Parts: sequence; structure tokens; C-alpha cells
Amino acid sequence: MSTLAISTRVTSSRRRIVNVRRRTLTTAKARALIVLALFALIAMAALLRIAWLGLFAEGGGEFSLADALMPARGEIVDRNGEVLARDFSAYALWFKPDEMENGPALVHRREDVARALVRIFPDLSYREVMAKLASKKGVHLRERILPEQANRVHALGEPAIQIPREPDRIYPQGSMAAHVLGYVDVDEGGQVGMEAWFEEDLTGEQTRMQPAVLSIDARVQGALEDELGWGMAMSNAKGAAGVILDVDTGEVLALASLPAFNPNKVKASDKWVPDDLARRGEAANVFNRVTNQVYELGSTFKPITVAAALDAGTIRDLGSRYASGRPIEIGGFTIRDSHALGGSLNVPETLIHSSNIATAHIADELGGKRLKHAMQALGMNERPYIELPAKGFPLWPKGDWSRVTTMTVAYGHGIAVTPLHLASAYAALVNGGVWRPATLRKLAPADVPAGRRVFKAATSARMRQMLRMIVVYGTGKKADAPGFRVGGKTGSAEKPGVGGYQRSSLVSTFAAAFPMDRPRYVVIAMLDEPQGTVATSGQRTAAWNAAPVVSRVVPRVGPILGIMPDVSRDVDISDLKPLIPGGSAQ
Amino acid sequence: MNLTRNRVQSIGWAFVLTICVALTVVLTLRVNAVKGQVREAENRMVALQQNIRFLEVEFQTRANQQQLAALNSVEFGYLAPAAGQYIEGERQLASLGVPRAPGAPKPIRMAHAVTETESLAFAAMVSPVTGKTPSVPDSDSAVRREAVAPASAGGGKDLVGSVIANTGAGSRPARVKLAEAGAD
Repeated sequence: MSTLAISTRVTSSRRRIVNVRRRTLTTAKARALIVLALFALIAMAALLRIAWLGLFAEGGGEFSLADALMPARGEIVDRNGEVLARDFSAYALWFKPDEMENGPALVHRREDVARALVRIFPDLSYREVMAKLASKKGVHLRERILPEQANRVHALGEPAIQIPREPDRIYPQGSMAAHVLGYVDVDEGGQVGMEAWFEEDLTGEQTRMQPAVLSIDARVQGALEDELGWGMAMSNAKGAAGVILDVDTGEVLALASLPAFNPNKVKASDKWVPDDLARRGEAANVFNRVTNQVYELGSTFKPITVAAALDAGTIRDLGSRYASGRPIEIGGFTIRDSHALGGSLNVPETLIHSSNIATAHIADELGGKRLKHAMQALGMNERPYIELPAKGFPLWPKGDWSRVTTMTVAYGHGIAVTPLHLASAYAALVNGGVWRPATLRKLAPADVPAGRRVFKAATSARMRQMLRMIVVYGTGKKADAPGFRVGGKTGSAEKPGVGGYQRSSLVSTFAAAFPMDRPRYVVIAMLDEPQGTVATSGQRTAAWNAAPVVSRVVPRVGPILGIMPDVSRDVDISDLKPLIPGGSAQ
Repeated sequence: MNLTRNRVQSIGWAFVLTICVALTVVLTLRVNAVKGQVREAENRMVALQQNIRFLEVEFQTRANQQQLAALNSVEFGYLAPAAGQYIEGERQLASLGVPRAPGAPKPIRMAHAVTETESLAFAAMVSPVTGKTPSVPDSDSAVRREAVAPASAGGGKDLVGSVIANTGAGSRPARVKLAEAGAD
């Protein structure tokens, strides 16, 4: 019995051990299974994720090549596709202290970094850089830096000194055509020139991919600016303006106003002048002398008066003579000539010698009403037609023109217009008599406006002869360019000032067209307050400063514009030659 | 497990379906991989285009009209061609050449003998950076000496021809000539 009892005890204890063992094993198995299941789950999740990525992920969403290359602001190009303004992502230099977390903003010592930066940018001040590097917020160290400088900054190895690319506007031609293009203000968009006019097109979602095409020819523009600059330097003038216009379409091929400004970096002094200088009539550099400033353009108006008289039929014979011997006293004014030109002059002589008195007589005979009508038809009573936002309003005699007004307007006094008005008027004078608005957009042949007829074709043909005669025999001799058949008229007007006209400050203009046998382009060159210098033989009149500018511009731009110089060709002036003393002999 | 006809059929369909799904997955993966490559290529294109624009701007800025005008006025002084420098057409061009008048002497033709001292017909190339003429590696010098010897003996012979003949295949006659010019 006792044995049995013992064995029973042994059996029960062993069973317990077995039980414990089994339970432990089960737990271990269960744990292993759970771990295995976990691994399997993770592996499954990873596999699913990979499969998902492989099957459906687009990797950064929809992507379009066109979008990535779309400029923030469209390009402006000249008529031949030469880029005048474009987008450019330029390097800037920033200090961003929060780039480095938990610790100092700079890896190296502040002094070392400042010294290294000053070594790269010698014009930075060490003290200022030190102060900026101590700031807690992001600061601009420099607005624009060059790529090689960016490389050197990168080599410093400072994560807090950053060189992000910022969108910018670049004008590769510098100050060339600055007044035509204008500039872009970071906050206010396009300013002054075509940047302002094309604002919508240049920034529009649909339109900015296409460049805005101007009528300007960069080569012609460059040549005009060069030569005007030469004329300005030679005569010590305070400003100059010039325009080259296609007579058949009204497209402006070049438009220059000097002194210019650099649209890549517009300074405050370019935009404003101090009040005391402004009162003296000084203008800031962004001010466009071609379209915004009105001038009394003097004798360049005489051909317009003569054309109006020819057209109206008050001049029926170019040989008819007008008194020029005595100054005209009228309404408190005295109309006189710069020097005595004899008792009377015929029409070609009046223009060749630029007689105020004879022109006043021609205008008197024509009458104020008809002269006013002709001037209106040439757009002289409204702002010039051009896309630029800044357009000057002419000083236009109101009401019916009195005799004295008619007489003074006839030789370009008492009326003030922009040089662009004059260019459009000369285009009408020589192109067969049709006036067209000037434009800075390149026109397709179908878009050329019909214009309005101001002069008869016969009148225009006569004017071509007479304008050429002025250059061959008269005051415009210095404007002649051999082979290019230049015709034109000088104009030197005294500027109005306090207490009447100022004898010492002139506006000298030369209005020309070429080639006169079949005029294609009008060239206007104007100098503001030229001085008598050694280079101009001490003279201040247009014949000595503005005319030589034209004679230098025309040979440079003529071949570019497809005009071949040819000394064997010219407009036929043989029927008018006998009217000039000694002319028939030549 | 007894395989009835129906069961075999459904297993077959399931198998086909699995194969199709697997193929679709593989195809889609492949398509997406190609898409990824295309995108990468596009990104590269954008980067390159931007690089091109950058270089274009640099070129345009460096070659702007004012720079060129300044260069012309300082270095070259070119002027606009005058009327006399233009020719109207073929006729005017032809008129510049005048046929020989009857009885006029025959045009004199100049002969030129190549002498030993001026035997090197081409001027040596000068590096614009260092101002030196490029030197020829030593391996060529033996060939060079060989090339010069018969030429100097021959006097007025066609030097270039003999150089080419003597250097044989594999050497560069042009460089041989340059080195000689440099040695002079």
C-alpha cells in the first residue's frame, strides 16, 4: 500500500513537470509564432508598398517640360529676334542663421567667415558683414553675385551662407534702347517703356511663352545711339534725341534718348532729379526726349508749311518770289532772319537758306485756317501715336490762328511738339503724302495701317526734290552721305525761358529722309542745348552739330536696312536747278 | 483529394488568372520604370536648357553692341563702307576685269623657288596662352632628324613631300613641321 502510495506521488509530480514543460513550450512556440507573424507582416507591408510604388506612384506628380521652361516674364526681342530683355535666375547672397539647428549658426568663427567674405567681395565692409552675421534673422548680404563668386562662397562650407537663384530681368544690351524697353520694378512690374505696355502679354499664362516683338532693329538702334552720343560729346550738349522711322509703315526702327540709363540697375537718380534742377528744366534720365518732351523745333517746320501751301495751291509757281529783305513787324513780334538774304527769295531758295521772313510770307498767303488744318492732319495737336506710356502733349495754339500765330508756326515757333511728331510728319511729307501713326510693334505687311492722306502725291514729289536741294546746296550740306541721297532740313530754335526766348540755349534738329529718289526712312537727330565748341567750329546751329550726326548715322544704318549707296542715282532736281543762282550751271 | 473535371478546370482558370495578374504586374512595373527614366531625362533636359540659357545670356551680354562698338573703336577702327565699295551686280563686277588689249605685253608671272632657309612653308603655331610653340614628344625626334637630313641634302627639293615620305605611316607630318619651325 505504501509502495503504491509512493509511486502515485512520483507519478503526479512527474506529470506536473511535464505539464509545466508543455506549457512553457507552448508559450515559447506562441511567442515565436507571434514574432514570425510580425516579421511576415512587416515584410508583406514592405512588399505591398514597393508594389504600390512600382505600380501607381507618379513620382512627384504631373510634370511638364513646357511648364518647367516657362519664363516668369516673357522675352522682348527686336524685329530680327535679337533678345533685348529676358528672364534670368541670378545668384543672391543670404545669411540664414536658422539653417543650423541646436548650436551656433556658423561652422567657423564669425571673424574668419566675415574676412573670407570680404576677400571675395572687396567692396563689402568688414564691420557690416560682422553685424549681419550676428543677426538672428535671415539677411541679404548681397543682392546679386557672379557665378564665380558663388563658387567661392560655396567653397567656404557654411550652410548658413546661402546662394539661392532668384528670378531677375536682364537686358543683355545694357543701356541700349533703355527708353524703348523701360525696366521692371520688383513690386510694380514693368515701368516706363514697352515693359509697361506689354505687361499683360509678358506675364499672361498663355502669352508669355511667345516673345514680344518690337519694330526696333538692335543694330540700327546701336548705331543711332553711338552717333548721337558722338554728336552730344562733340557739341557738349546736355541731351540728345533721335528716331529712325519707316516712312511706309510707321514702324520705329530706332528711338534713342540720351543720356540713357541702365535698366539692369536703375538708380534713384535716374528716376528723379532734385527740385531745384527740375525747376531749371532738367529731366531725369528715364525721361524720354523723343516722345515725352515737347520742343519748338524751328525751321524743320518750314518744309511742312511749303508743302501745305503747294497742296492748297497758294504756291502755283516755285519761282514766285517772296519778300525777305525787311524784318516783319507784327503784333509786337519781329520776324527776322539770322543774316540778310537779299530782297526776295523764291520757294527753293527760301528753304535752302532757311528764311524765316519768306516762310512767314508764304504762310500768310496760305492763311491760318489751312495751315492749322494741315498741322492737325499731321497729328500735331494730339499726343504722339506710339505704344510708350509716356507721351507729351504738344503746345498747340488754341482757337483760330491769328496772322502772327500762323507766321510763327510756319517756321516752327509758338508750337511745340515731340521729335516723334516731326518724324511722322516728315514720313508723310516724303512717302507720297500719307500720314501713318508711329508704332513700336513689328507689323506684318497686312497690318500696316492705311493711314490718312495729308498731301497730294505731286506735292510729296516736289518736297523730295526740295529737301534734297537743301542738303546739296543749302544749310544741310553737312548731312550728306555720298551715295545715300539724303534730303532734309536743319532747325535751330531758341528755347523759351523766363522773359522770352533765350539766345544762348538752342535746340538743334536735323530732320532727314533717305534715299530721296524713293524715300524709305526718316532720320531725326536732335541736340538739346549744344554749345559752340572747337569741334563744331564754335557754332551752335543744327548745320554744325545735328547734320553731321545724320551724315554719320545714314552710312552705318543704310546697308543694314537694305539701302545700297549709289553715287550714280539721285532724285531728279534738274527742273528746279535753274531757280538756284548758279544751279543751272552745276 | 479526387480531381474531378470541374475542379481541374477551375484550377486551370485560377492558374491562368494568376499568370495574367503576374504579367500585368511585371508590365506595369516596367512601364513605370520607363516613365521614371523619361522623367529623369526630362529633368536633365530642363537642367541643360537652363544651362544653355545661362550661357546665352552670358554670350549676349559679353557680345552686346556697346562692347563691340568699343572694341571696334579701340582695336579695329572699322568704318561703314563707302559708296565706292559696293557693287551693283555681276555686270559691274565683270567690268572691273579688263581684257588684255591687242598688242599688250603678256602679264608677267612670278616664279618662286623654295630655298633651304625658307623651306618651312608654314609659320609655327604659337599658343595664345603661353606664347610658346608646341613641342613634339621625344619619340618623334628621331623621325624628325631623319626627315631633315635628306631635305637639306636635296636643296631645292619638295621638302614637305620628302618629310611626309620619310616619316612613314603612324607619324604626324604636320607636327614634325611645327617642331622644326620651333627649333628655328
